[in-house]
This record gives sequence, C-alpha cells and structure tokens, in this order.
Amino acid sequence: MSKFQYPIVKAFVAELFRIFRDPGVTVIFIVATLAYPLIYKAIYWNEQITNVPVAVVDLSNSAQSREFLHRWNAAPDIKLTYSCTSMAEAEQLLRDQKVHGIIYFPRDFARQLADPLGQAHISLYCDMSSFLYMKAIYLSCNNVMLESMRNIQIDRYENMGVDKNFAWALVQDAPYTETALFTPTGGYGSFLIPAVLMLILHQTLFFGICMLGGTAREENQESYTFYSLIGRAAACFTIYYGLSTILLCAFPRLFDIPHIGSFWDIQLLIVPYLLAIIFFSLCVSVFIRNRESGLVLLISSSLIFLFLAGISWPKEMIPDAWWYIACCIPYTHGAHAFIHINSMGASLATTGTEYIALWILTLVYFVLASILFYVRKRQNNVF
Amino acid sequence: MKYIFINIWRVTQRELKMMFARPLYMFASVGVMLLSTFFFLTLMKGGTAENMPVAVVDLDQTSISRRLIHEMQATPSVDIQLITNSYPEARKAMQQGKIYGIFVIPEGFYSDLVAFKRPQMDFYVTNAYTVGGNTAYKQMLTMVNLTSGAFQREVLRKKGLPDDVIMHRIQPLAIEGHMVANPWGNYSVYLVSTILPGILGLICLMLTIFAIGFELKMRTSHAWLRAAGGNYTVAMIGKLLPYSVMYFVLGVGCHLILYRFAGFPVYGSTTRLMFGLMLFIFAMEALGITLIGLLPTLRDALSIGALYSMLGFSLSGFTYPQMSMLAPVKALSYLEPLRHYYLIYVNEALMAAPVENSIPHMLALNAFLVAALCVAPRLHRALVYWNYPLK
Repeated sequence: MSKFQYPIVKAFVAELFRIFRDPGVTVIFIVATLAYPLIYKAIYWNEQITNVPVAVVDLSNSAQSREFLHRWNAAPDIKLTYSCTSMAEAEQLLRDQKVHGIIYFPRDFARQLADPLGQAHISLYCDMSSFLYMKAIYLSCNNVMLESMRNIQIDRYENMGVDKNFAWALVQDAPYTETALFTPTGGYGSFLIPAVLMLILHQTLFFGICMLGGTAREENQESYTFYSLIGRAAACFTIYYGLSTILLCAFPRLFDIPHIGSFWDIQLLIVPYLLAIIFFSLCVSVFIRNRESGLVLLISSSLIFLFLAGISWPKEMIPDAWWYIACCIPYTHGAHAFIHINSMGASLATTGTEYIALWILTLVYFVLASILFYVRKRQNNVF
Repeated sequence: MKYIFINIWRVTQRELKMMFARPLYMFASVGVMLLSTFFFLTLMKGGTAENMPVAVVDLDQTSISRRLIHEMQATPSVDIQLITNSYPEARKAMQQGKIYGIFVIPEGFYSDLVAFKRPQMDFYVTNAYTVGGNTAYKQMLTMVNLTSGAFQREVLRKKGLPDDVIMHRIQPLAIEGHMVANPWGNYSVYLVSTILPGILGLICLMLTIFAIGFELKMRTSHAWLRAAGGNYTVAMIGKLLPYSVMYFVLGVGCHLILYRFAGFPVYGSTTRLMFGLMLFIFAMEALGITLIGLLPTLRDALSIGALYSMLGFSLSGFTYPQMSMLAPVKALSYLEPLRHYYLIYVNEALMAAPVENSIPHMLALNAFLVAALCVAPRLHRALVYWNYPLK
C-alpha cells in the first residue's frame, strides 16, 4: 500500500517545490492569474457605450425633423454633437473621427410626412471601425423611428376619421415588450469577462505546465513515470483549485460581474475543467524542449481558443470542421458551461452536455498523457 | 563606413544560421501566421451572423397563433428551433445555449385580437452572448414588425388600395442605413483586419525578445558582439535585419490575401497602410528590445511581453471603443502599438482620410524606437558583463 502511494506523494511535493522555486512559473501561475482579471475589469469598467457622437445634416429644417432629433438625443447611446449644413461637412467630421455617425434628413422630409400617401426617408451613416458604434447608433435610431412612425400613422388615420382605438389596433395590432435576460446592464464587460476568466485559467495553466516541462527537459530532470504524471497533475490541481475559486466565485461577487449561478455548481465544474486542462497541457508539454519555447510558440493560441469556442462569434456560425477541433479544447466546454451557470443561472444538470464533455476530455487526455509519458520514458531509457 | 556594412552582414549571416538551426523560429513566425490567417479567414461563415436559433412559446394555442408562428417561420433570417407551450422549457433551452431569443404569444391572444384589445407579445433575448443575442434581437424586431404590419395590410387590401400605397401607409417613415466602408456589415472584415496584424505584432515582440534573450541565456552574446566588431548598434541591426524583412514579407503577404483575394476593402492608400504596418513592426521590435533591456532574463521578459501584448487586443479599442474606457485606461492604450496601427488602418483603409490624420500615429509608433534607444546602454552592459541571473 505505502509502496504505491509513496512515489506519488514524492512527485507531488517535488512538483510543488519546482513551481514555487521557479519565479517564471510563479509569475504566470499566481501573478498573471490574479492581475489579469483586474486589468480586464478596468478596461471594461463602463460596460455601456454611451454618448457616441453623431453629426446632423438637416436639409428639411422642419419641426418634424427637429422633434425626431430631440427624441433621439434623449437616448443615452448617442449624442448629437455637430450640426452641419452639407453632407460634405459631415463626411469630413466622420473622416476625422470626430463623429461616428451621420443622420441626414432630405429636403422633402416634412413634405413627404405631410402627404397622406407619402413616405419620408432618413439616411443614417454608421462608422464601421467598431461594431459597437453601429449597434449604439442604429438600434437607438431604429427605436425612435418605429415610435415616430406609429404616431404618424395614427395621425393619418385620425385625419381620415378613423376612431383612435381602432387606428391603434390597425397600426399595431399586438404591441410588444422586449426584455434582455440575465445581465441587466447588457454591458460588454458582463458578457466578456466571464469568458475571459475561464480563458485566463486555461492559458496560464497551459503555459505554466509547458514551461515546467521545458525546464525539466533543459535540466535533464525530467521524469516520465506514471507516478510523476499523477503527482504533477495533483500539484497543479491543488494550486489552481484555490485560484479558480477566487476567480470564478469571489471575483464576480466582488466586482459586480453577473453571478447568478450556484456556488456549489461552479465548484463541481472546476474539477473536470482543471483536470482536462492539466492533462491536455501535459500532453503538449511532452513536445516542448525549452522552458521559453512554449510561450513563444503558443502565445497566439489564446486568441484562437477564444474565437474557436464560439462565444465572441456565435457557435452556430462556425464551420463544422473548426467546431470539431473546438470540441477537443477544454476551454470550449468550460467557457460555455461557466456562462450557462454563472451568467444565466443554469443548474449543473441543465448544462450537462458540456459537463460530461469535460469529463470525457479529462479521460481522453489522461490516457493520451499516460501513453506519451510511457513512450518518452522508453525513449529516454534507450539513450 | 565600409566595415560597418561588412559587419552588419556578418551578424546577419550568423543570425540566419541560427534561425534555420532551430525550427522554433520558423514555426513561431511563418507557421503561426499562416495558421492564424487561415483560421480567421475560414472561421466566420460569410462574415455576417444570421439565422440565430430562437424559440416561440405559444400560450394561446389557437388557429391564429399557429398562423402567426407559420408567418414567422416564413420570415427569412429567422430560425425557429423550438415551438413549445411552456416558458420554462424555452428558458431552459436558452440556458443550455441552444437558442438566443424567446418569443411569447400570450394566452387569450386570439380573443383579444379580434376584440381590438391589442394583446401584448413579449420577447426575451439573452445578454450572455453578445453577438448571438443582438442578432436574435434584430431578427425578432423585424419579425414582430412585419407580422404586425400584416393585419393592417389585409384591412387596407380589402379596401382595394394598391400595394405600393399600402406600403407607404404601413411605413410612412423609413431609415436607409449606410454602413460606411463595410457596406455588408461583415464582421470578419472588421475583426480580421486588426487581429491578424495584432498577431504579427505579437510574434515580432516575442521573437525579438527570444532572439536577444537567448544569446544572454546561452552566454553567446560575446560571439555576437565580436561578429559585429564590438559595435552594439551594428550587432542589433544585423541581428534584427533578417527578422524585420521576414515580418514585413509576412505582413504584406497577409494583407495581399486580405485585400486582393478575400476582397476586404481599402478605400484609401495601400502604400500608406503598408508604411504604417512597417512602422508597427519596428515599434513591436523596439518594444521587445526595451523589455529585454529592462529585464535581461529571457523568461521574465517573455512573460511580461506576453502579458503586455495580449492586452493590446483589448486596449486598441477595435472591439470595445476606447472612448468608453476610463481615463487612466485610455492613457494606457496609447502605450500599445496596436492602438496606433488600428487608427492608421481606420484612416487609410476605411475612411480614406488625408495623410495628416495618420501622421500623429506614425510618429507615435516611432516613439517606441526612442524607448529602445534609452535601454541601449543597459542592454549593452548586460551583453558584455552578464550581470543578471541566468535562469
């Protein structure tokens, strides 16, 4: 009994020593993991895009266009900052990035509205250098347009002698309400930070383990026994269990990031997530020769993993071939499961598909790591 | 003077040998860049998000509610994945990430509708996935306004009005949206144009640190300086020359793919955009020299370099606009070369702005070269005396 346990404990303790004696790994494991969430929170502090500057070109110069602008300016998303006499002038402002949108009322705007059969047009130009400008400008303008449009229709029907209630039923037979679920502010940070927290855990662990593997190989201290596999995994798991709890449970509560999920469900999610990452990284680390080469080679994987997971870009719009690869990365399932639980209040059972996938990946990468370790050990013995 | 060129060439030759001796250099530059270009160009089917799956909760269960659902299904760009009579079921599907929006037809919808009591429909979208949720929101808004117009259209048709008159009646006010410089609203154009140069910058920074730091780590810096005739500037130029050429070729090649083959728009000057790219590459290399100069331990400089340059993607402001960041964060964003490259890209590719608009950012990129000059004495000492920890 003791004969079996002893080498594992030894490998576990040895790995803990190696981690804490190596300032490079400590920086990645502890400092980066704790500093990154704070920096990202600071970047996305304001959450909402407000007061996007917009230029006005009002050739109709009418009471109707002014009322429209007045109503639109009340929306928090945008701010009418310049009034121009010509399109050329407004285009100049857009080119100089002083405004990110232009609204244009043609000369016949009021005349078309006054004509009971006319259709009035507004032109809206959005700066596409960031999609969030377009979202702020376009959606808020659209809402004002729909509201104004209904009022115009009611007026026209009333002028025709239609009863007001019937006119409303005609114009909008069934009104609607719209509700954004889960994150009340709908902010960019509320959406991105949970996904980034999971990515930070994934990538720091990934780079750290590759660095440890490379160092051991450089110093000819590598050990590819089965015990060392378990011991190394256990050491990383121990450190990261605490870090994960800080990042996934404490951080959202401290910094006002959505956290409607159950604490215990997240605890249960951490287990397979960390194990899958650890064995995945151990598999990769077998191929790393220098302590630094892993970081140089794999640094851009952070961006690829983020987009591959189908969070920034919806997973429905990812080609199947890429999606199959995405499913092999622990981050994909971990990030979705965490968003489902933490941001949308799902139970662990509800997000069972992702949870089971993480356990399957754990098992697959564990077996793969064991095989790779065994092969490496035999190679080393030959030489 | 002649000797300077000979020495530079000697250092370059030495560097080329090292570059090809270790597969890491080629994998980390050419390999990563090819993979990233291929990845980001093939990731986004068509580049516009559409047909996001949504659910309809039919609490009314009448012929009219079924007809409404039928009409919704006929609306293009709406993908109704789930029709149910239980809201919890739809909510659960949303929590599982299967749908991005829920449309609720209330109980008594039919009877209220015929009594002109204007029954209220509700729709819910998820905020936990931004692009998916927004797209579903836009789809559902269009869908509800189209179906709502349907009733009016029928009444007016019965009165014998022609269709174009009806159209104006139903929609007396219309917005013509113009998406400047990206008329298709293509997410791929917007994202890839900045993210790929960003990755190239990341490679420049990491490999510059690695190429210099590795000499320190392996204690080969004396041989390097000797090849340069003991001149620090010659050593630096000779060493970075082959890399700079390679990065520039990679950058131009990547832009050729984007703007010639993938059809991404450039409304302004391609030459100035390429010039901006060159300055960006130099700035990232200079940043690498600065970091290895400040922290002559390879591992420390690489870790800090990785942290610093990853932040560039967020701080450049191409996803979350810089105008909405806090003042200190805004100030910090100017320390990221990618921020300046992004602004040059906006000016040159999207806005076709005059050259005056890009000049401040080109100058800002040059300021990073000054930082590299400032650490030169310190780095020179490190190369000569090895006065830093080895590991």
